[in-house]
Amino acid sequence: MSELRPPFCSRDFPATVEAASEAENWVARQASDMGLGEEAEFAIGLCLEEVFLNAVTHGHANRATISVRAEPDGVIVEFADDGAPFDPTLAPAKHISGPTEDFDIGGYGTGLMQKFSRRMSYSRFEGMNRLVLEFDASRNANAGPGSLSAP
Amino acid sequence: MDMKVIQDDDEMTHVVLDGRFDIQGAQEVDSRFEELAKSSKALVVDLSKVSFLASLGIRTLMLSAKTLLRRGAEMAVCGAGENVEKVLRTTGFNEVAGLYPDYDTAARALQERLAAFSSKKA
Repeated sequence: MSELRPPFCSRDFPATVEAASEAENWVARQASDMGLGEEAEFAIGLCLEEVFLNAVTHGHANRATISVRAEPDGVIVEFADDGAPFDPTLAPAKHISGPTEDFDIGGYGTGLMQKFSRRMSYSRFEGMNRLVLEFDASRNANAGPGSLSAP
Repeated sequence: MDMKVIQDDDEMTHVVLDGRFDIQGAQEVDSRFEELAKSSKALVVDLSKVSFLASLGIRTLMLSAKTLLRRGAEMAVCGAGENVEKVLRTTGFNEVAGLYPDYDTAARALQERLAAFSSKKA
């Protein structure tokens, strides 16, 4: 496991629902420490929960690694897991149409990730899914000096 | 996540959530939502104190809406902040449960729908 101070940090997690919850809290803390702003923190948390739960429930992954890197104009989050190959950038975005009681309970994640991230890119390398998510960041007024400066 | 349930009258159930509707938050309120969805006539979920909503939280809301609608009951959401509302609109949840600025407006809308439904049946 590696853990560096912002503006770059990375951590390994077992691929379980409990660890997904822990990862959610960890990423929220990192995003807050980096002073990324409320909107970016929300977007990162939303996408992370989606992709982590996908890796656990559908990909049957054993482990996952999350990296967060602040850039001058935003933040890049990389999620890597050893689950079954899955490219969320190709999955259709689902949306409930019209008043109906006949709607699906799940499957909205891709649409949400597309809406809340600036860009998504996927690759499969050495048995790992690697999803890179880019977000805009509006720096908090109380952010520490240089917290969004690239290394 | 804190969950307060206020039974306004025989018909209207007012749920106030406070906190992050993340994995842990959803796990904390899931079973209470399931019970309310099976018993309420009209359910208004106040999200004004919810700072975060993601996959499992959406699932909890959608399961409740589906159970309520299939029973002929109604559901609405009120007070959602900008990001939470963006999540609800992106999934289309607003197509099955109305989004309102505050509890009073939501409760009035649901009462009108219940009244319209009753007069159709009569």
